[in-house]
Amino acid sequence: MSTELAKETRAAPTRRRGRTGDLLVRWSFMVPAILLLAVMLAYPIFYTIDISFSRFDLSSFGAGEWVGWENYIEVMDDYRFWESLRVTMVYLVIALPLQVVLGFGIAFLINAEWAGRGLIRALFIIPMVVAPVVAGGMWRMILDPLWGILNYWLGFIGIGPLDWFGDPTLAMAAVIIIDTWRWTPFIVLIATAALLALPKDVFEAAKIDGANWWSTLWSVAVPLLVPVIAATFVIRWLGAVKMFDIVLAATYGGPGKATNVINLFIYEEAFRSLRFAESAAMAVIVLIVTMVLTGLFLYGSRKLEELF
Amino acid sequence: MEEEIVTHKQLKKLARRRSVLAGIAGSLILAATPLVPAQAQEGLGTADNPVEIRIMANEAFANSWQTTLVPEFNKKYPNVHVTFDGVPYTELLAKMMLDATSPNPDYDVLLVDDPWVPQLAEIGALMDLKGEQIAALTDADYDWGDFNAAPLAAGEWKGIQYAVPVRSNMLLRFYNRSLYEQAGLPEPTPAQTWDEFFSDAEKLVRDTNADGKDDVWAVDTYFVRESLTPTIWQSILNANGGQLLDESGAPAFANETGQKSLEAHKRLIDYAPPGALGHGFSESLQAFRQGLVANMFNWGSVYKSTAVDPKSTTLTVDEVGIQVLPVGSAQAGAHRGIWIAGISSKTEQLEASWAFIQWLTSKEGESINAALVGSFPARKSTLNGAPAEPWLGPVYKTLQNAYEVAADGQMWRIRSPKSDAAQQILADEIARGLAGQVSAEEALNTAAAKISKVLK
Repeated sequence: MSTELAKETRAAPTRRRGRTGDLLVRWSFMVPAILLLAVMLAYPIFYTIDISFSRFDLSSFGAGEWVGWENYIEVMDDYRFWESLRVTMVYLVIALPLQVVLGFGIAFLINAEWAGRGLIRALFIIPMVVAPVVAGGMWRMILDPLWGILNYWLGFIGIGPLDWFGDPTLAMAAVIIIDTWRWTPFIVLIATAALLALPKDVFEAAKIDGANWWSTLWSVAVPLLVPVIAATFVIRWLGAVKMFDIVLAATYGGPGKATNVINLFIYEEAFRSLRFAESAAMAVIVLIVTMVLTGLFLYGSRKLEELF
Repeated sequence: MEEEIVTHKQLKKLARRRSVLAGIAGSLILAATPLVPAQAQEGLGTADNPVEIRIMANEAFANSWQTTLVPEFNKKYPNVHVTFDGVPYTELLAKMMLDATSPNPDYDVLLVDDPWVPQLAEIGALMDLKGEQIAALTDADYDWGDFNAAPLAAGEWKGIQYAVPVRSNMLLRFYNRSLYEQAGLPEPTPAQTWDEFFSDAEKLVRDTNADGKDDVWAVDTYFVRESLTPTIWQSILNANGGQLLDESGAPAFANETGQKSLEAHKRLIDYAPPGALGHGFSESLQAFRQGLVANMFNWGSVYKSTAVDPKSTTLTVDEVGIQVLPVGSAQAGAHRGIWIAGISSKTEQLEASWAFIQWLTSKEGESINAALVGSFPARKSTLNGAPAEPWLGPVYKTLQNAYEVAADGQMWRIRSPKSDAAQQILADEIARGLAGQVSAEEALNTAAAKISKVLK
């Protein structure tokens, strides 16, 4: 017993050394990543927060005198901020469900065996690789009431001419069309991969049980796809909430302020009006709102997964 | 104590050392004397050791200046290498300020838009071009008094001349003589009033191919939500005797004159092509060049590409008229938009930088700039002299008139270190007014309240 105790006593520091060494090795692998994250992610965020509580000093191009909540109060008092948030919400509420439904619907259609499916899938990638500013400019030409080809075609079926950039509702529709054209293929790709990964035996069982196309879709495919749909929605939400480049190129936020999304407003306040402190305050508010909503969506998606 | 006592021997030693040091210093001064002219030469470079200056400019014209004007400059100063970096207009000011506030700025010369001088001057980014340092490098025949007052004033802030006009521009009225003739209307004159303009406008919107749809319109200009759109409203406001700010610097446009002017701007949409609410610089230019609109209010610098160059226009010089904007209750309208060049206060290439600006803004440089790239001059002697091309004659006459009109009516954007913030507010509110989202009264009251806060 005493020999074993002596052995134990001798082994304890060795184990401790081993554990410490192990910890050191682990941390040495993590330190570069932590440093990189701190520099690339945390520093800009803390810098933005610092600016948002300061008067921006243009002569040093950095945070100057500490002003507390002044910038936040000013932003909250600005109807343009709330108006931009409202416009962003309208865009998100329409564009996101539309893109998810279209994306999964198209994926379901092209998932069937038919000639040319591969080519169509390849073509679907094109809008995603077009720069947003180019997409906005290109669609601006297509939708232009004077020179655009869309109004010309619509004329053949007795519609129009539509003033896509002069009517507030149509301008928002134009932004949603452009954004949907750009991002639906992304959802199609994810949905196609998810559909291919679904277990075939479940579908075969449904077929044997006599389920029709609709029943198979609604009662088999959709429940199995819910986790993917929820995850796709969250990913797309995070992308869509940042959108401003398409608006900048297509409608300039107009007519009036009909398509002035929040990120365009923040961009303009910062880089055109040089009101960096106020725009930093807006960016912080938007960051918090986005984080809260993302948290809610993640919670909701987990609940949906449990439900199905 | 002993150590503190200075002996006679030590004093003699010190005196000897002093004389040796004085001798060395004297030799150095003598050796350096011939270097003075050599250093001056080095300021403009030598064949073996050329100097380089970098210029930040609007990408809209940076490239053409690099390829067209720099070779002309190098004929006179072959050892100064000039590099233009073009930046999109919307990011230009922020990038300039970021560069100017860094300890070692990359740029020696900054090409600045009309309302930016106060902002750059306030952060100490620009040199005083009439100060002692630059005056010593200025040619005796460089005539400051020859510049028209309005464009020169664009480069001045609080009595100091920080920049000098290099690409003068004015908001002008272009009209299509053929469309006026086809509508049976006489050619407009600079004396035409806004009421007369609107009366003609009704007749200028026409269906030329009898398909039941209008295919030519009376006017196109800025209506889109952007910072230059308020310049149209402002030129109407100024023509009606209104001002943006009063003498104390407070907004003075939220009144009946301002509303009447915004309503006139909005009324133009009734005579503009479909979708005009989304039109700005490019769209109005395209419509006018294609002969779709009889009038265009746009920057004078587009004249060459609109009336002269067949690669970019369907119109000819004979078809395109140019004059100031219609007359309001006080005077004709115009708006100043001058690109001015200043020198970075931290440049290490002062002599070469000033050599470039001085050449470009000299009588010779202005003529070359006008002839080769179509930039408008600011000098009275250039405007009143023999133009390099025949088409420049009527354009110069209009430009001289517009400078005088702008000077009389103070037709320029707000001069303040916060001018861009104020202009953005105007852009937002004028856009809301034009789109009919709010009344002219509400748009202008909101703009006035916000600008008042920003300018505090």
